[in-house]
Amino acid sequence: MHGGDVQRQVEQRDGEQPIERRPSAGWSGRFARPARTARSARTARTARSARFGRPGRLACASSLALAAAPLLALVLVVAVLLAVDPVRGLTGTVPVESLAVERVVLEPGRIELQVRNDGRTDVTLAQVQVNGAYWQHTTDEARLGRLAGTRVVVDYPWEPGVPLRIALVTGTGVVIDHEIDNPGETLRPSGDTARRLAVLGLLIAPVPIAIGVAWLPALRRSRAAWFDAAIAFTVGLLAFLVVDSAAEGLDAAGDAPGVLDGVGLFAVGALGSVAVLAAAGDRGRGTGRMPAHGVSAVGLAVLVAVGIGLHNFGEGLAVGAAVSTGEVALGTALVVAFTLHNATEGLAIAGPLGGAASAAPSPGSGTARRSRARVAGALAGLVAVSGLPVVAGLWLGALALPAGWAALAFGVAAGAVAQVAWAVARWLHARGAALTPLNAGAFVAAVVAMYLTGVLAG
Amino acid sequence: MRRRTFLARLGAAGALGGVGTAVLARQPLPAAAPAGPRGGDGHQGGHEGMGTVGRVDHARNGFDPHRILEDFDAGTVSRDRQGRVVHEYEMATFPQDIEVAPGVVYPAWTYEGRVPGPTLRVTEGDRVRVRLVNGSAHPHTLHFHGFHPAGMDGVPGAGEVEPGGSFTYDFVAEPFGTHLYHCHSLPLREHLARGLYGAFIVDPPGGRPEAHEMVMVMNAFDTDFDGENEVYAANTVAFAYDVDPVPLRAGELQRLHVVNVTEHDPVNSIHLHATFFRLYRTGTSLEPHELTDVVTMGQAERHMLEFTYREPGRYLFHAHQTEFAELGWTGAFEVR
Repeated sequence: MHGGDVQRQVEQRDGEQPIERRPSAGWSGRFARPARTARSARTARTARSARFGRPGRLACASSLALAAAPLLALVLVVAVLLAVDPVRGLTGTVPVESLAVERVVLEPGRIELQVRNDGRTDVTLAQVQVNGAYWQHTTDEARLGRLAGTRVVVDYPWEPGVPLRIALVTGTGVVIDHEIDNPGETLRPSGDTARRLAVLGLLIAPVPIAIGVAWLPALRRSRAAWFDAAIAFTVGLLAFLVVDSAAEGLDAAGDAPGVLDGVGLFAVGALGSVAVLAAAGDRGRGTGRMPAHGVSAVGLAVLVAVGIGLHNFGEGLAVGAAVSTGEVALGTALVVAFTLHNATEGLAIAGPLGGAASAAPSPGSGTARRSRARVAGALAGLVAVSGLPVVAGLWLGALALPAGWAALAFGVAAGAVAQVAWAVARWLHARGAALTPLNAGAFVAAVVAMYLTGVLAG
Repeated sequence: MRRRTFLARLGAAGALGGVGTAVLARQPLPAAAPAGPRGGDGHQGGHEGMGTVGRVDHARNGFDPHRILEDFDAGTVSRDRQGRVVHEYEMATFPQDIEVAPGVVYPAWTYEGRVPGPTLRVTEGDRVRVRLVNGSAHPHTLHFHGFHPAGMDGVPGAGEVEPGGSFTYDFVAEPFGTHLYHCHSLPLREHLARGLYGAFIVDPPGGRPEAHEMVMVMNAFDTDFDGENEVYAANTVAFAYDVDPVPLRAGELQRLHVVNVTEHDPVNSIHLHATFFRLYRTGTSLEPHELTDVVTMGQAERHMLEFTYREPGRYLFHAHQTEFAELGWTGAFEVR
């Protein structure tokens, strides 16, 4: 990073002329990156090809061969490992059988389990116990290879709310326990269910988010200091969502079949989304079209909406799954909690746009009415991006997807929201905002608000 | 906020109603749960779905609980110089995988490849000579319940047989009664739980009234070795007499020898449906101790039961620890 190259911070607002701002000392060099010219990149490539081979087709073929050689060596080593089996003789234990219950569908008088072999050896499902008694079952396939799955059906007179202890007994007498703490009839996927979940999703996400976004006019009229505080509030909310997504994701990871490595799935989602969003944010950098510190106010609002949307998708998954399996009952208090929670999220989306008043269209660039319609449309889009994923999540969650998917989804959300939080914080710094008591207070206020809207309902 | 967590709390608090309930009202349960198709092909017990699926391959096990039920082994009978009747047995001990419930295989330690081991039957005052050959990787013994010299006790230091070795236990059988033998090598609990036990029946010198005789060794298997049993049975195979009921004749006197060798649980019991039995505790008396329909036993307790079914029909018998009953220790008599 060549901090010395950057003498001044340039801020650009949504298609307007760059506005020059006085750089504030300290962090300008840290957050700004120099534009790398196309020429320097070309020079680097030339230098590399000069070092590794002759130019032209021959060079291409030889570099392919060079790349393939280590790969071939690796294949060879794996083949030798498989043939020699050097571990044999070092361990006297036999692999432990393992089965994961991925999904439970409860109907009156009937328990259906989706079971998967998540261990390192083949497993035969021999018998099933329900509440400490052998119970007759039917299965599509009793002998399961690694990662193979099957459906197990037991006709059992279970009662809503009375815990069920299910034990799967394998051919070697290993017992895999699965407890259903609070059984209830599973929602059947149907048009009616989908409609009910959609209505619920709309009520608890886009509607309150839209209400939160409605703070925008008030924000626009506020002084610059208050606008900074609104951004700090957004950062606080996003920071809270990172923690929340991570907690939910790691929780789901714990429920995921061992062979899927739920924590690994979470990491793939989180790090992948960080990389994708960071790359998206960097697109166009150095072309002169984007300001040196990243995104425009609207771009930032879109990022915030996307991050919140991804988080809400994960939330929808979790709630949909919990509702569909009857693990929880939805109540007024819960809906109120969601509403407050998501209204807070709406405020966070509005935050970055609050300062856009200064960049309002000048009288010459179009009528105020057309501009207002455009803004309203953009805001509706932001609300949709952040709120509608709840509906999708509820639908997918109601299908009771395996826990691994929830770990992945929350991983994506955690990574995305973290990246967005970082981008917004960077943007705030680049604006020249300092960590005033007001801004710090707004940050904390957001965290506390999210915490309280979560807890008050409970 | 972890929504699932507080959702659960909400549910527990019963905070229902309003918008959410209106949106997602739970459908009421139908009046009667539909009776689903029967699983598997083997279970005919008719307990509304309770039981195991499939059938145990008794041929592969090498023994059949229905044969064990009526299999009394007098050994090779001869007379010694004093004119005393001598029963000679040759018993080998070796490990063998056995199917204790359909599809569930347990790595048992056996006498003669079966669990329980052979039911030895002699008369009080007869001489018993049992040669134990150890074909396993662990030391084992034969420890008989009954009178015998200390050197014939079959414990570590007195008649314990090392792998590959042998020992001949030699004693005079007394008192008459329903007894047992088992391995007494250490660790004791492990050696018993793995299947090293059997019934040892000593008849009174004057004999008993004519009857149809059976032996049931109440046992259990901790298939995942966590100190709790997964399978309970009489004569090893879960629900064996439930899948295929024991045929009896109405009006015929039944004499049932019951031995409890269940490990990991303090007691086991047997209960007969629709009849009462005369209970001869430990089988050591010619007169019954009581008339009852259930008897509870600690480990190594054993009794002799006499009963008669008056009318044809199917009559259940099972442990009255219902947990054991539903984990395999249930059977039925088919009285004709």
